[in-house]
Amino acid sequence: MLALLITVPFFSILFFNLPFLGSLRRAITTWAYVLFCAQIALALRFFSPEFLNSFTSQAHLFNFNIALDNLSLIILLSSAIVLFITLIIATYTIDSQRQRFNFVNLLLFAQAGLNGLCLARDMFSLYIFIEIVAVTSYILIVFDKDIKALSAAFKYVILSTVASVFMVASIALMLLISGDTKFSVIQKTISGQSPNFLIMFSVVLFVCAAFVKAGVVPFHGWLPEVYSRSPAAVSVLFSGIISKALGIYTLMRVAKDVFGVNVALNNVLLFIGTVSIIVGALAALVQKDFKKMLGFSSISQIGYIILGVGSGTILGFAGAAFHIFNHAIFKSLLFVNSAAIESRTRTTHMHELGGLSKVMPITGFTSILGFISAAGLPPLAGFWSKLLIVMALILSGHFIYAILAIVLSALTLAYLLSMQRLVFFGKLNERFIKIKEAEFGFSLAAIILAAIIIITGLFYPFVLGKFILPLV
Amino acid sequence: MTNFSMYLPLYISLLVILPIGGALILFLLPQSLRKLNAIFTFFVAFINLILAALLFGKNFSYVTPWLNFGFEIAIRLYNFSSFMLIAAAGFCFLITLYSIVFMKNREHQTQFYSYLLITLGLTNGVLICDNLFLLLFFWEGLLLVLFGMIAVGSKTAFKAASKALIITGICDLCMMIGIILAGHLAGTLTISKIHLASGGLGSLAFLLLMIGAISKAGSMPFHSWIPDAAISAPLPFMALVPAALEKLIGIYFLARISLDMFKLSTNSALSTILMWIGILTIILAVMMALIQKNYKRLLSYHAISQVGYMILGIGTAVPAGIVGGLFHMINHAIYKSGLFLTGGAVEKQTNTTNLEELGGLGKKMPVTFLCFIITAASISGVPPFNGFFSKELVYDGALERGLIFYLAAIAGSFLTAVSFLKLGHTVFLGKSSQSHENVREVKWQMFLPMLILSFFCVLFGLMNSLPLNKIIPIVQASLQDSRHSYVFHINIKLIIATVVVLILALLNHIFGVRLNKGALHASDHIRYAPILSGIYDKAERRFFDPFEIGLKVTRLLSKITFKFDRLINWVYDVLTVKIFYATGSFIRRLHMVNYPVYLMWSLLGFAAVALYLLYSLK
Repeated sequence: MLALLITVPFFSILFFNLPFLGSLRRAITTWAYVLFCAQIALALRFFSPEFLNSFTSQAHLFNFNIALDNLSLIILLSSAIVLFITLIIATYTIDSQRQRFNFVNLLLFAQAGLNGLCLARDMFSLYIFIEIVAVTSYILIVFDKDIKALSAAFKYVILSTVASVFMVASIALMLLISGDTKFSVIQKTISGQSPNFLIMFSVVLFVCAAFVKAGVVPFHGWLPEVYSRSPAAVSVLFSGIISKALGIYTLMRVAKDVFGVNVALNNVLLFIGTVSIIVGALAALVQKDFKKMLGFSSISQIGYIILGVGSGTILGFAGAAFHIFNHAIFKSLLFVNSAAIESRTRTTHMHELGGLSKVMPITGFTSILGFISAAGLPPLAGFWSKLLIVMALILSGHFIYAILAIVLSALTLAYLLSMQRLVFFGKLNERFIKIKEAEFGFSLAAIILAAIIIITGLFYPFVLGKFILPLV
Repeated sequence: MTNFSMYLPLYISLLVILPIGGALILFLLPQSLRKLNAIFTFFVAFINLILAALLFGKNFSYVTPWLNFGFEIAIRLYNFSSFMLIAAAGFCFLITLYSIVFMKNREHQTQFYSYLLITLGLTNGVLICDNLFLLLFFWEGLLLVLFGMIAVGSKTAFKAASKALIITGICDLCMMIGIILAGHLAGTLTISKIHLASGGLGSLAFLLLMIGAISKAGSMPFHSWIPDAAISAPLPFMALVPAALEKLIGIYFLARISLDMFKLSTNSALSTILMWIGILTIILAVMMALIQKNYKRLLSYHAISQVGYMILGIGTAVPAGIVGGLFHMINHAIYKSGLFLTGGAVEKQTNTTNLEELGGLGKKMPVTFLCFIITAASISGVPPFNGFFSKELVYDGALERGLIFYLAAIAGSFLTAVSFLKLGHTVFLGKSSQSHENVREVKWQMFLPMLILSFFCVLFGLMNSLPLNKIIPIVQASLQDSRHSYVFHINIKLIIATVVVLILALLNHIFGVRLNKGALHASDHIRYAPILSGIYDKAERRFFDPFEIGLKVTRLLSKITFKFDRLINWVYDVLTVKIFYATGSFIRRLHMVNYPVYLMWSLLGFAAVALYLLYSLK
């Protein structure tokens, strides 16, 4: 039954690409909407203790082990929402019928890959799904055949390939140690032995591979350009879910189910997380391009998630998962807004913009909500996840990192506020005096995301109790 | 009479409720009925006087808890407070009568009358309450009304009003701390239950409460708002509040704290401090009064100076001094109110109080002149007027404590006499200026209060046993455990000394008029005496005004804190931002490279992680 989450998108792609289908192909967009909505509904439905109790047993598909738990569910939910938003933006930004058909095919591929990634319970299938998503994303980045996007994609391919090599090597080492690729078997073998060079080396390889995929400092070289050069819809998808699922979720999953937490690894995570926050935020502060600024902001926010993981406590894991979800929402919202602005003004250079909330009120207002959530101001969603992370850091005794996390959110506030001031407040440029609010799709997407931010923020006791705390 | 005592609590609460309620009615009165507000105020003051007369000599105390905070409403009526009540009611009655004519055709009448009634109600509240917390409530209320009263005087009065507010506010803050301290030490806020020993925190509490009391009475160094207010505030306000009511409640409270709450003894440092404050106030204020060229301003300096006698009297802590201090408080209120009213009469008829423009009014305003002579003689301590007897008592007490206090007090008397000789001579004798040819006597509503006050000056002088029989029991009640009963007597040597001093003052005046050519400049030889002239010059430039000094210090402090604030601001707004932007730009420049560099970063990162994690195995 769980396998349907992976097989349905695959078979849909096969079905819609059958020859002689003709005009039925146009229905693929509608079908994708249906699939994404169904996944959102299912993910929300799954969050009930009774259901989980009956479904944690492992199902089998070919020889893959798949299973479902709350961490997977959060990624399932976030990815379905982001895919849904991406699809809305794509239908409004991609004009050609054929191109749109191709784009939706790729989105369904990505959905299958992301779902598989969430459900996989052995190393090799995990790797396979990571590669499916990665290859899909290479194509998505260069979807517009833009030369700059091509160069960005090239950087991504190079670094990502290195990461893949690391990962395969790590999996090979684990196979060598334990004779199997199942999480449970590897974990049993590792916990049975005292830590030795081989195990640690495979851990190092895997962790570094995940770092590259997540784009944390200093493994982040590909990220800013990919975020800023790819088409608007792809930026949303990339920053919202792909880099988080490929990097952070994989890291969390493997740390939780395979090699467990240890002090040295936690120190590495805490240090790298903090460096990412600082470098990302400082670089975001001086960016002139809206999307590039958002890219660096993503690096900074990934730092917070890594800090949560690095606290080594289950509460930190919960906070990290919650922040993945919140980040998916608010960063998608900000990218949707940037796409809306780009569609109207044909520029993302912040110094050319200004006063846009007068002509684009919905974009301007939802952007404020997104920025408040990102900066972690109460009572919106981002505040609660950052609070969980900081609490986890304090409870695990990492006071300095906790203080740094709080102090550095001032930097987050700084760059987002200066973005807000440059783009939405102040004097309206005469060039843009006649532009109108972005098309309906952009506003719809922005309003949906803003509503999720507000609901998550205001009903946080419910959200925490139902979705996040079951992780603990 | 049983019927009357049943309703005693009602009458007592009416003392507060009636005037304040009256003030509220005044505020709500429609525009068309505004002409009635003077009559209405007069009527309320009259009822208040009757109430106070009915309550005179009654003993009553009433305590009820309030709001469960451990706070209680405590009311106590006894000989002292009932005596003060009738005095306050009497002054208020006379001043309202006077105001009917004086305030006619002036702006802000409604506010003036409302504030006057509120002042009356709050003063009654201070006099009847027996709880420090409640007292503070009325006390602070008076401060607010004081501000309003001065501010309605004229367009420039706002500055004087805020000066009064700041000075009195700071002193009231001291008093508030004193109340908290006293309540903490005694475990209760009920005044009649507080009995504290001086020493340590007790002395501190006394000093703080004393600051509250003497600042209300207008003693130095909390005096400097009074001369400013004298120029700009409405004159009936000056005659009622700083001259009478504030002296009454200030000295009343001082007497309560030093007689009941702390039992001031002759050998304590606190007593000496009080006496020093007293003589400094006497001398310094009268020195300033000597050189004033404005009727009202001159009087206001005397109002400050005379407080010194009361503080000196109470500070001596010997029966003669205390009785003298309290007697002087009543006397001062009578003659100083009277003097201010003569000043008001002159102002009403001539439209000026500038001494250089006045002269020869004695023939044109004979009643006013008569009242002036009586009240001025009283304040100068000429026998047999009332001021003479109270001053003699204070001298008696002061001499018992030390010669210097006596000498300072008698020197103050000398200068007071000199100053009033000059004032009377300038205003009522000599030649009148041409613009004042047609000046007439004031209406009866204005000279009747003056006459009544002058009458009391004479009455309390000739029949001084009348008030003294009320005052002596009050003092004895609080001193009974330590002293045998006190009998009033007059020291003949002191009387002779006083008379000699007064004659000297007259001689000095005649000498001064001859020397300096003109009554107005009769004291110029003192003004321009060596050493003194320099001090006077500085004093006229407000060099010694504690308020101005405080302002300078505050300005300096605010300048320093502003600079400091700028520094902090620079650190936050400039330095931090520069550092962050510089670092940010540096990081941005690092990212302007191609993929081999990124790859190298990743591999370096990998190497570092690998080294750290593998090293941790060992």
